[in-house]
Amino acid sequence: MVEIRSPSVRRGWSESVRARASEIVKQYPEPRSAVMPLLYLAMAEEGYLTDNGMREVAGAVGLTPAQVRAVASFYTMYKRENPGRYLISCCTSISCMLLGSDEVLRAIEDESDVTAGETDPAELISVEHVECIGACGGAPAVTVNYELIEGMTTEKARELVRWLRTARPEAIVGAECQELFGGRRSFDWGAFDRDSALGPYPAFGPLGTVSGPAGDQEG
Amino acid sequence: MTEPVTVTINRREVSAQPGEMLIKTAQDNGVYIPRFCWHPRMNPVGMCRMCLVEIETPRGPLMVTSCTTPVSDGMTVDTTNPSVKKAQEGVLEFLLINHPLDCPVCDRAGECPLQDQTMAYGPGESRFVEEKRHFEKPIPISELVMLDRERCILCARCTRFSEEISGDPLIEFQERGNYTEVNTFPDEPFRSYFSGNTVQICPVGALTATPYRFRARPWDLTFVVSTCQHCSSGDRINLQSSQNRLLRILGLDSEPTNQGWLSDKCRFGFEYVASPARLTSPMVRDEEGELREASWGEALDYAGGALGEVISRSGGRAVAGLGGARGTNEDAYAFSKFLRSAVGTNSVDCQMDDGLDPRLLSGIVDRARIADLEGAGSILVWGPDLKEEHPTLYLRVRRAAQELGAGLVVIHPRGTGLDDRASVKVTYQPGRGGEVLSELMDGNGRMAEAREVLSNGPVVALLGRPGYGESPDLAEATAAFVRSLPDATILPLARRGNVFGALDMGLSPALLPGRAQRGTLAAQMLADRWGELPAASGRDCRRILEGLESGDIEALVLVGADPVRDVPDGGLARRAFENAGLVVAIDQFLTDSSRMADVVFPAMGFSEVEGTVTNIEGRVLKVNRLTPGPGQSRPDWAILSDLAARLGVDLGLVSAQQISQEVEELADIYRSVNWERLDWEDRDGVVVGGDLGYVPVFSQVTSVSPRSGEMALHYARTMYDDGVMMRESPSLRPLAPGSAAHLHPSDAARLGVGEGDSVDVTSVSGSLQAGVVIDPTLEPGVVYVPFNQPDTPSLGSVLGVKVSR
Amino acid sequence: MSVRSIVTDRMTRHPSDSHTLDRYLGTGGYRALAKALEMPPDEVTGEVKAANLRGRGGAGFPCGVKWSFLAPAKPAYVVVNGDESEPGTFKDRQLMERDPHQMLEGTIITSYANGANHAFIYIRGEYPRSARRVQQAVEEAYAAGYLGSDILGSGYNLEVTVHLGAGAYICGEETGLLNSLEGRRGEPRLKPPYYPAAKGLYMQPTIVNNVETLANIPWIIENGGEAFAAIGPDGSRGTRLFSISGHVRRPGNYELVMGLTWRELIYDVAGGIPEDRALKCWIPGGASAPWFVPDDHLDLPVTLDDTAKAGSMLGSGAVVIMDETTCTVRATERLVRFFAHESCGQCTPCREGCSWLERILRRIEEGSGREVDVDMLLDISDNISPGLAWPPRMTTICPLGPSAVSPILAITSYFKDELMAHIHQGGCPFD
Ligand SMILES: Cc1cc2nc3c(=O)[nH]c(=O)nc-3n(C[C@H](O)[C@H](O)[C@H](O)COP(=O)(O)O)c2cc1C
Ligand code: SF4
Ligand code: SF4
Ligand code: FES
Ligand code: FES
Repeated sequence: MVEIRSPSVRRGWSESVRARASEIVKQYPEPRSAVMPLLYLAMAEEGYLTDNGMREVAGAVGLTPAQVRAVASFYTMYKRENPGRYLISCCTSISCMLLGSDEVLRAIEDESDVTAGETDPAELISVEHVECIGACGGAPAVTVNYELIEGMTTEKARELVRWLRTARPEAIVGAECQELFGGRRSFDWGAFDRDSALGPYPAFGPLGTVSGPAGDQEG
Repeated sequence: MTEPVTVTINRREVSAQPGEMLIKTAQDNGVYIPRFCWHPRMNPVGMCRMCLVEIETPRGPLMVTSCTTPVSDGMTVDTTNPSVKKAQEGVLEFLLINHPLDCPVCDRAGECPLQDQTMAYGPGESRFVEEKRHFEKPIPISELVMLDRERCILCARCTRFSEEISGDPLIEFQERGNYTEVNTFPDEPFRSYFSGNTVQICPVGALTATPYRFRARPWDLTFVVSTCQHCSSGDRINLQSSQNRLLRILGLDSEPTNQGWLSDKCRFGFEYVASPARLTSPMVRDEEGELREASWGEALDYAGGALGEVISRSGGRAVAGLGGARGTNEDAYAFSKFLRSAVGTNSVDCQMDDGLDPRLLSGIVDRARIADLEGAGSILVWGPDLKEEHPTLYLRVRRAAQELGAGLVVIHPRGTGLDDRASVKVTYQPGRGGEVLSELMDGNGRMAEAREVLSNGPVVALLGRPGYGESPDLAEATAAFVRSLPDATILPLARRGNVFGALDMGLSPALLPGRAQRGTLAAQMLADRWGELPAASGRDCRRILEGLESGDIEALVLVGADPVRDVPDGGLARRAFENAGLVVAIDQFLTDSSRMADVVFPAMGFSEVEGTVTNIEGRVLKVNRLTPGPGQSRPDWAILSDLAARLGVDLGLVSAQQISQEVEELADIYRSVNWERLDWEDRDGVVVGGDLGYVPVFSQVTSVSPRSGEMALHYARTMYDDGVMMRESPSLRPLAPGSAAHLHPSDAARLGVGEGDSVDVTSVSGSLQAGVVIDPTLEPGVVYVPFNQPDTPSLGSVLGVKVSR
Repeated sequence: MSVRSIVTDRMTRHPSDSHTLDRYLGTGGYRALAKALEMPPDEVTGEVKAANLRGRGGAGFPCGVKWSFLAPAKPAYVVVNGDESEPGTFKDRQLMERDPHQMLEGTIITSYANGANHAFIYIRGEYPRSARRVQQAVEEAYAAGYLGSDILGSGYNLEVTVHLGAGAYICGEETGLLNSLEGRRGEPRLKPPYYPAAKGLYMQPTIVNNVETLANIPWIIENGGEAFAAIGPDGSRGTRLFSISGHVRRPGNYELVMGLTWRELIYDVAGGIPEDRALKCWIPGGASAPWFVPDDHLDLPVTLDDTAKAGSMLGSGAVVIMDETTCTVRATERLVRFFAHESCGQCTPCREGCSWLERILRRIEEGSGREVDVDMLLDISDNISPGLAWPPRMTTICPLGPSAVSPILAITSYFKDELMAHIHQGGCPFD
């Protein structure tokens, strides 16, 4: 007889998250379409994408958990292992590579003592290298919790890591980080916005993952 | 049929159905294009890219996958030119770079498409010097299936099957690109009733069946084609054995029946055949009241003598027969002839109180064929849960609703596997079926949509008894109504393997072989061959058991049946056996029933006897013999024939084939059946023509409600239960759900119980303890208890039960 | 020089608030929508056809023609492709962040022309700022009556949903995108039979257009298709946003009228190469495009057709410039790594072939290359892209797999000596 893993205890989503989830489901002609935003919602709820989160998503859209995991694991941004509070993603694709991204990544790894793909023991900082993030005109580029910083140098990269470690900002304000650590940009960003990212997932109003003016308006 | 088109394949013109995939056209014309992911019963995905061919286009030659390219008129195809060959070799090399070199320990070796195609199309030496992809070696993904991800070539056959065909997508692709793997969700095993199909269609040894792993090498196997007898669909199978031991069953792609698929019960539920608990010798109850082994002569003398005494004392009508639905038509015929001409009784029933009028089952006008589901405009399912009791039929209905666009109305007391495909699903409280039927007939309110769906003809209605709490008349009344729907045909649902064959052979009080009714001309003709037929009308199963209990019936002949576990009122059966004057049993095991017999004869069974069976639509199919019976076991017909001789009657039966001929001669409708042809030209079976012309009668079905303080019982079967075949098949035995009481959340709250707590369920005829399962698919006030679970007593054919903590 | 602003005009003139509704309205915004709503839908399509606007997402398919292929079944959908992930490309981000109403107006007009009542804007997950700006624009448009029911009193209704991707380049491929939007793995669908215009989102007729393509629509409606068709050379009408990156003095997005030469684009528009180093090669149209080299291609005109004739493509408009200090083996490894990482994994040749190529290249770059590896690289490539033809003859469902072959072709044909130097020296000569 084969030993089969027995189901583990389940924790459920709170009523308010359920309510937001059903709001999201209503945005689409078919519930299944809501899988991707709901996966972000699940990440925001627990800090990363847990088995529980995937089960909740499955329940909300009428799929099996295996189907939901099939979707989640296809995309790189659904982190199924607990990342740190700050996820530094360093682009090492072609244009950034041409302008020194490999050195930038090495500086980040060195300063944070975290190898790409890993998280520090304090669960503060995760480092990863990623493919092109659409900031090639401002190469080399990185994101922190998906907020972009263009025109990186090795020195600025080290400063960024030190700052995250010491200042421990509540949320990441992209424009502010760009001012502090960035350099040449792909294009003029225009108005300075104070939208900020609360965790290692994209900050987007309908997901409730933004703080700052836009997030507040969302309420 | 549309006009065929002409296609040129490798400079030869062939004709094809437009829309058909090139790979199929080529194959039908003798051109084999290598493939891994294409499967004729599933939608193409074009993933493996092995089937690349070149077609001519106005812009020059174009490389396409032949499994995703429909033929069109004038198409020119090359399947072998150098660039095609190079591409195919390239694909094969790509598949092999990460494939482990473990053919010597792989179950699939010897029948592996990857291995074969590497021989035929592959490159020689590997130029791959990098490290191969590694995964943990085989991991169990269910009790029955192991997965070796290193061997997987990502063809999506298994994932497609579970999504498109069986509708329980528990295995899926995970990760992406070069890291893609097939897997289950952590903690959610691949517990599908159909998981074995994925093992069968996996083109490599990535999915293997735990019961078969390392049991045999393909080249050591001998095989024979046969028909599965777990349910009444007549699924075609390939039996495989090594050294006289049945080792594996594969589904055969037979268009009218299973189309290649099997349930895991059909696939793995054969282990009982080789169980050490099989009876190997006759047994006789001795002075101490113990069953002890005896010789055939002694046992036959004993049984014949005792039966003879009853007959001469009280007449043949004091004897009754039960069973016969598990064997072949030939065995059933022998049983029928034995009871009617050697004993002189019409009291016989193969249906074990399942409750449907035999005339409705086998004699109804407008009887549907299974294949009618394919062209159906709409389908009504109101009967047993198809997934539990008619698994391959369930797949056909799913497909009709999912892929072929048939509307589907499902009426059932709880959630069923078809609900996600149903256009309308009606849930109701058992006992209220009559009300639901009137609502459906009126077509108002919640039934308006159902009637709308059912206005699309042709309508195929699958009707039976949803559970034992439901009135047996409901299906009949529904059938009468269904006849008013456009182009309606009806498939009556009865589950026992060969129940339709057994009814056709007369194992029912009012029926005689060939669906002849007593008192008709056909019956008269039968009497000319069989001699005088018993005059008194017979009793059905329930009344036989009551007669045994009361003493009106003195002796019982039991053929392959276990009433104590198998009739809804197990308590009645037990009392009947305890009070019976004489029980003669023919069986493969000592069951809870045959254990109480006075004489037991060891019977041969599945895979041990040759014969014919008749499926749900009246299709006669062949079963074949592959393994010897254990010990001194013999076929039912031979035992019955010898027993008749002890009663001084020569039944004139000499072999199964001879019996089959006798049936052909006697029973008009079986005239088209030819024993020899069934193995060859007629391997997909022959539908025995005609019907009784039985017109279902509409009668008002009164709705009943449980008494106050009671809950309505939905008492229905599950695929895996405590039947002796399941109990003696070690791989399946642990899969029976066990005793459970499914409660609507509101009832659970009222009782103050939660998932996993234990409750007592008590009826007038029995009581059991069961774990609570919260089941929101039920109506409030209904408790669902799975029938015949290990170590659980029977609740009987009742509606109301008390549920308490 | 051939600079002309259609889609970047507003953001250039009003850098601080070009993304707001106020500024948009103040600079003529939503006038085109009002005009379009007065026209019968097929007349709108007619203007776009007359404009000869070709898709800016990569394939360059004529936009109006695509619309006219839409199957009649209802509901129909419009999906905006804002998944921009081709390495070197960052133009759609600018359009979404700096002028979201412009592309939204284009989306509304497109939806109207195609009889769709629900449009989806699919934005790559790594672009949260774009998503926020577009979402804000959508909310403003709802509030102002440009979205929702009875738009501008026309009786036309439209809902718009902004959908965030989650890190998968293949979702830029339109059928992969539709699967993703349906909540599935972003695996491209079989074409045939799943052409979006016939069987797209939820198997309904669907128009998928790139952000930049749609950003051009308001101008075309306002000024007429003919005015648009009067700009630029035949086959490459209108302007085009080029994302220039790599070894240039002034990287960035440039809206240009096509027809200039590559020399002009690199040296005049992008300011040439820092420290006046020598140009080694460039990628003319995103990571999937075969490379160009100065000797053969510097004076070719930058048009869709000329680039195609020379064996490459303008693709997504991404130009990546590499100077003499570039190790082309490493550049190739980086590009092939990208395709291996982004392969959806359906097709055997792409799933297995790309990562095999990547591993061989990494081995060569790290100094363990063998001479046989060079032929192997080519032969493996040939098994992914038979005959190594351009445009590729595919063995795969979508063009991603064959795209990985482009850089391999470049190094084996133009820079074989560099490859051999790696192999013979047992390491990278540029380190
Ligand atoms: C691998 C692959 C990636 C693609 N990525 C994008 C993309 O990121 N953005 C985009 O607009 N089109 C992309 N496309 C092209 C789309 O499939 C599609 O042609 C385009 O969205 C149509 O819009 P257009 O006609 O307006 O250009 C990609 C195509 C392929 C094969
Ligand atoms: S496990 Fe078998 S059937 Fe499933 S994808 Fe892999 S090779 Fe195909
Ligand atoms: S070519 Fe690659 S990315 Fe495209 S469908 Fe095939 S496997 Fe997926
Ligand atoms: S290559 Fe780094 S952002 Fe594009
Ligand atoms: S058989 Fe055609 S692609 Fe797999």
